[in-house]
Amino acid sequence: MSFPLIVFYVLSAILLFSAFKVVTAKNPVHAALWLVLAFFTSSGHWLLLQAEFLAIALVLVYVGAVMVLFLFVVMMLDINIEKMRAGFWQHFPLAATVGLIMVAEMVLILASPQAHLAGYEAAAPLAADASNVKVLGLQIYTTYLMPFELAAVLLLLAIVAAIALTQRERKDGKYVDPAMQVEVKAADRLSIVKMAAVRDEPVINETNEPQA
Amino acid sequence: MDMKSLYLLIALSPLAGAIIAGLFGWAIGRRAAHVVTIAGVAVSAVLSLKVLYGFLNGGAVFNETVYTWLTVGGMEFSVGFLVDSLTALMLVVVTSVSLMVHIYTIGYMSEDPGYQRFFSYISLFTFSMLMLVMSNNFVQLFFGWEAVGLVSYLLIGFWFKRPTATYANLKAFLVNRVGDFGFLLGIGLVLAHFGGSLNYADVFAALPQVKDQTIQIIPGVDWSLMTVTCILLFVGAMGKSAQFPLHVWLPDSMEGPTPISALIHAATMVTAGIFMVSRMSPMFELSDTALNFVMITGSITALFMGFLGIVQNDIKRVVAYSTLSQLGYMTVALGASAYSVAMFHVMTHAFFKALLFLAAGSVIIGMHHEQDMRKMGGLRKYMPITWITSLLGSLALIGTPFFSGFYSKDSIILAVEHSNLAASGFATFAVLAGVFVTAFYSFRMYFLVFHGKERWMDAAHPASHHGDHADEEPDHDHHHGLGPNDKPHESPWVVTLPLVLLAIPSVIIGYFAVGPLVGGDFFNGVIFTNLAAHPGLAAVMPHAEHAFEMGMHAFVTLPFWLALAGVVTAWVFYMKAPQIPAAIKKTFAPVNTLLENKYYLDEIYFAVFAKGSRALGTFFWKICDMLLIDGLIVNGSAKLVGSFSRVVRRLQTGFIYSYATTMIVGVLALITIWFSQLIFG
Amino acid sequence: MNWADLNLMPALPEIFLLAALSFILVLDLFIPDEKRDVTYGLSLLTLAACAALQLATFEPFATTTFSGMFVDDPMADIIKVAMYGVTAAVLVYTRQYVADRGMFRGEYYTLSLFALLGMNVMVSSSHFLTLYIGLELLSLALYALIALRRDSAAGTEAAMKYFVLGALASGMLLYGMSMVYGATGSLAISEIAAAIASGHSNAVLLVFGLVFLVAGLAFKLGAVPFHMWVPDVYQGSPTAVTLMLGAAPKLAAFVFIIRILVQGMGELSGDWQGMLVLIAALSMMIGNVAAIAQTNIKRMLAYSTISHMGFLLLGLLAANEQGYASAMFYAMVYVLTTLAGFGVLLALSHAGFECEKLEDLKGLNQRNSWYAFLMLLVMFSMAGIPPLAGFYAKFAVIKSVVDLGAVNMGFGMVSALYLAVFAVMMSLVGAFYYLRVVKNMYFDDKQSDAPIVVRGEMKVLLSVNALALLVLGVLPQGLIELCIEAMRQSLAVL
Repeated sequence: MSFPLIVFYVLSAILLFSAFKVVTAKNPVHAALWLVLAFFTSSGHWLLLQAEFLAIALVLVYVGAVMVLFLFVVMMLDINIEKMRAGFWQHFPLAATVGLIMVAEMVLILASPQAHLAGYEAAAPLAADASNVKVLGLQIYTTYLMPFELAAVLLLLAIVAAIALTQRERKDGKYVDPAMQVEVKAADRLSIVKMAAVRDEPVINETNEPQA
Repeated sequence: MDMKSLYLLIALSPLAGAIIAGLFGWAIGRRAAHVVTIAGVAVSAVLSLKVLYGFLNGGAVFNETVYTWLTVGGMEFSVGFLVDSLTALMLVVVTSVSLMVHIYTIGYMSEDPGYQRFFSYISLFTFSMLMLVMSNNFVQLFFGWEAVGLVSYLLIGFWFKRPTATYANLKAFLVNRVGDFGFLLGIGLVLAHFGGSLNYADVFAALPQVKDQTIQIIPGVDWSLMTVTCILLFVGAMGKSAQFPLHVWLPDSMEGPTPISALIHAATMVTAGIFMVSRMSPMFELSDTALNFVMITGSITALFMGFLGIVQNDIKRVVAYSTLSQLGYMTVALGASAYSVAMFHVMTHAFFKALLFLAAGSVIIGMHHEQDMRKMGGLRKYMPITWITSLLGSLALIGTPFFSGFYSKDSIILAVEHSNLAASGFATFAVLAGVFVTAFYSFRMYFLVFHGKERWMDAAHPASHHGDHADEEPDHDHHHGLGPNDKPHESPWVVTLPLVLLAIPSVIIGYFAVGPLVGGDFFNGVIFTNLAAHPGLAAVMPHAEHAFEMGMHAFVTLPFWLALAGVVTAWVFYMKAPQIPAAIKKTFAPVNTLLENKYYLDEIYFAVFAKGSRALGTFFWKICDMLLIDGLIVNGSAKLVGSFSRVVRRLQTGFIYSYATTMIVGVLALITIWFSQLIFG
Repeated sequence: MNWADLNLMPALPEIFLLAALSFILVLDLFIPDEKRDVTYGLSLLTLAACAALQLATFEPFATTTFSGMFVDDPMADIIKVAMYGVTAAVLVYTRQYVADRGMFRGEYYTLSLFALLGMNVMVSSSHFLTLYIGLELLSLALYALIALRRDSAAGTEAAMKYFVLGALASGMLLYGMSMVYGATGSLAISEIAAAIASGHSNAVLLVFGLVFLVAGLAFKLGAVPFHMWVPDVYQGSPTAVTLMLGAAPKLAAFVFIIRILVQGMGELSGDWQGMLVLIAALSMMIGNVAAIAQTNIKRMLAYSTISHMGFLLLGLLAANEQGYASAMFYAMVYVLTTLAGFGVLLALSHAGFECEKLEDLKGLNQRNSWYAFLMLLVMFSMAGIPPLAGFYAKFAVIKSVVDLGAVNMGFGMVSALYLAVFAVMMSLVGAFYYLRVVKNMYFDDKQSDAPIVVRGEMKVLLSVNALALLVLGVLPQGLIELCIEAMRQSLAVL
């Protein structure tokens, strides 16, 4: 067994374990940290494939930016993850059974001689000075121009959607408009209504039922 | 005018009337609505008579495509007309009865707020029925079939404020779906195996090649293609022509206004099944099994539905069960390969049964919407025209010699007696016993309504006539029954005129038509009977050529005496000694209960089909929604819309788990099935 | 790729749509609430212009651009023009509804246009990567639209469910795509097809990937057993968004499936046929039978959608040109019908009242016979009663199954006739609950006297929409031939 293969299996084991812990951790901060570990190990996989740029991007973007932001949110909001996950363990056996059957079947299928995965050879190693970034850049701006542009549209959409869903005029907002304060007139504040001096008898409604 | 435009005019003029009355009825008013629809049908009727006259003098068969709807994958859908003697006969029957019913409706519906709508519907029905009988291909036949069904449901539920009416209309719809399913499968088989065309002519031309083919519906079991196709087609006819056990909708359809009962549920639509089988005679002739099936179904209907007529007290229901029984006779005739006789009975029955229905309607008007015969009696003094015409109709129905019903019914009995099919023994018994039963219930009705004591005096009350209209709006014109001091009165001329006009053919048409229709060559080349293999018709033909001798001969035959016995028994039971039926009822209580509950078929259907399909629906709903979704939720009983906390709780407790699990199980199932060889070795 | 070679003409409508959408997005910021109709009008104008551009750049053959990732063929043209029309109709139908419910904001229109752009990309992609991005563009816009009414708990919940399950389905789709990539070494549809045809690709891996692809696609259609989101999302979303979700995306999903299964994996039709048979049969059964038990009309229509998708799959699984054309026709008719059906529901809803219970339709004929008649056309068409368009659509797909012969079901060959008979039976079962609606409208007493107030443009469009079902039913030949011709031209090239 070659060294890269050993590394692959070790990384994969860690990845699977940390992914499992993300779902099962009791403390949301722990879950987020497990996710960080999962990202790290995935970037290890990229490295094994000689895709250094993607490995670094994964760490920088996901671990550095996304997860840190996520941790902030989790810590600030004080989410009780236990409550949100009530019933999780109750259904775990079913999910585990289905998952295990799935794994077993996939192994049986992909490891069978008909699948012939051994026929796939490892990619030829790249030259020592091969530049990931250059190749990616060339590809993105030529062949993959359209997906690249569309990804930008997707981001724009995400921004619009996020704003549409979160921006709201709060009913209890304390924001005041100085211009309106200046322009206010006495009549806007107070109006005098003349009323006859009549006292209403209290109405007793015997059939009154509480509203459902 | 060339023939094509003539036929187009016949079909389209009722449609034009229906459109004008239906869409612009609110603008043109009641009078204009009935004028325009009657004009449309009258044009059709006159032209139809011209067509029939042409065929009586050896007119040419017309078979042409009028309009091609669409062509796809080598299949053509088109509107085409096939007009031959069979079509011509149906054209005259449909348009003339329809015309009578249109006129009659002016009087019957005069107070109804849905006047224009009603005229529009019946004209639309006439159009659909004409398209059905004039069709030259299965697709158009099926369209006409569905269209007449649709109008029929609309009309059964015409008084949609009555819950019984909407129930009846739903029932008619559902029962007919069963028949239509068989019919569609039959058409599918025709398309698949009979040369790939749905044109009658092409299909019949392909018969010699396919008559001995077999198909496997259950793998390993060979069935004759002809038998399966014919039986499936006949299942369609069973639904539309209300044959046992798909007859249950017809009695309930009496919830519709009486003109409808006369037009649709007696004279025309219900005979569509008979017409269809006659049209397909070349196919049915090739399968003795199918003919036996047809004959058995017909005999059961003829006899057992007649029994039910005896215990009914609602005047319209008696006529309805009598219709069922007569449809059974027609079906028996089909089974005996006497298609021409069946069509002959369709025609005579159309006239005398429409007459009986319209007369019953006239009685109902006279009695102020009272339908219970036990509260009538002695009406002949007050409603003389209705009385006379009813008597003539009843005499025709029971097969009094020289009346129209005699010729057709006796021909059927003769044909069945001489049939060589296995089922003919039972069928002979059924049709003979049916003669007695028919005579008995017809004259029971006649005596109860027109003779005897005037019972409306002591029965005067505003209550419901058969118990189930109690929740109806009181402001409607259905204030049931007469007041204690009211007297029944004869109906207006628009009601009695159609009665008189229908009474004439009810009496004489058999005498004149039996020769050409049954004995002669009117249907030559149109209806195909293999006389060598099925000798039923051959036995009738020599008699039918001499109408007068046939009538005279009847007095020495069994059916006449059976009918007479029926009339006499009815007279004794209901005029002379009313204690007898009461005693019988008491002695044979279980039989009576069985009959009053219509053999419990409704209950059985309800329990099996209605509850069954509902249970199935609930089952899936429970499995999908309750068990998998709500069942997985702690305290999960809430409605979707609730307080936010409730929503959060539901979200927490794993809706999505179960959905996701289902999806993954789905993938797993696909993998397992498609890789079973790899997984299980 | 040489920049000078980049021919943007085939993608002109999409580029215009994106530009117009960005313009509306910015302009809307400066429009005060009471002049929001400007946004509404501009959105409709954009759709009209897109349709005009689409027709102006029409070519009767397929052209590609963006390194072969974007394809513009007659099928895409027809479907796109249909989608512009459908989206415009949706905007018109929902104008009053969204105004009554505080959703009459610029985002509603920009998100709808984003969704449309996503659908356009799905329809015109010939590469797994762009197909996937198009799908996500559509899905993301839809998630946001469903949740747009923030004070509605049901809407938020529906969006959440759709989002999570959609992510799962996307995962399956991606997994399948990666398997196919592993087997063929390419993500481009034409290269995948060529690799499979050459016979050198790994068959086990291909079929394995295919299963996941089929699962992901079935989720998008909402076919059993990947349908669980449909009833909840249909019911939980504001009716306006339910319509947005139930109409045009089905057209896009149809082409999406054609691109992946037919153009990409057409050689494997022997395998996916059987899978689709299972899914179609289950969908028709569960959809139709479960719909009977519903009292909420949106939920009922959701189950009805599930069954209709089963019928749509019947045409696809025929795996021949005629079958695809009939499925295309079915999709068009289905969308037209849904549009009219929800249109009537929207017309009956007003501020503070949602027309979503079956009882809400009771006595509609007494309240307004014209809308009752339109709904009657819709229900008859859905039930497949001649002479409405739905009848012919059902007929065409069932016929394509009848012509099929036998299908490989994984464990052996099975005659397709059983499926055809089953489909006929299920359509008869389905007729029951459609006609129950008709019964409610015509034979029951009205429950409310609220006047039905509908904006003029909607009144006209809705009537045209529903009557089109009748016209298409009587004269279907034109549209059918268009579908057949489009399929022939589009499938010939790749």
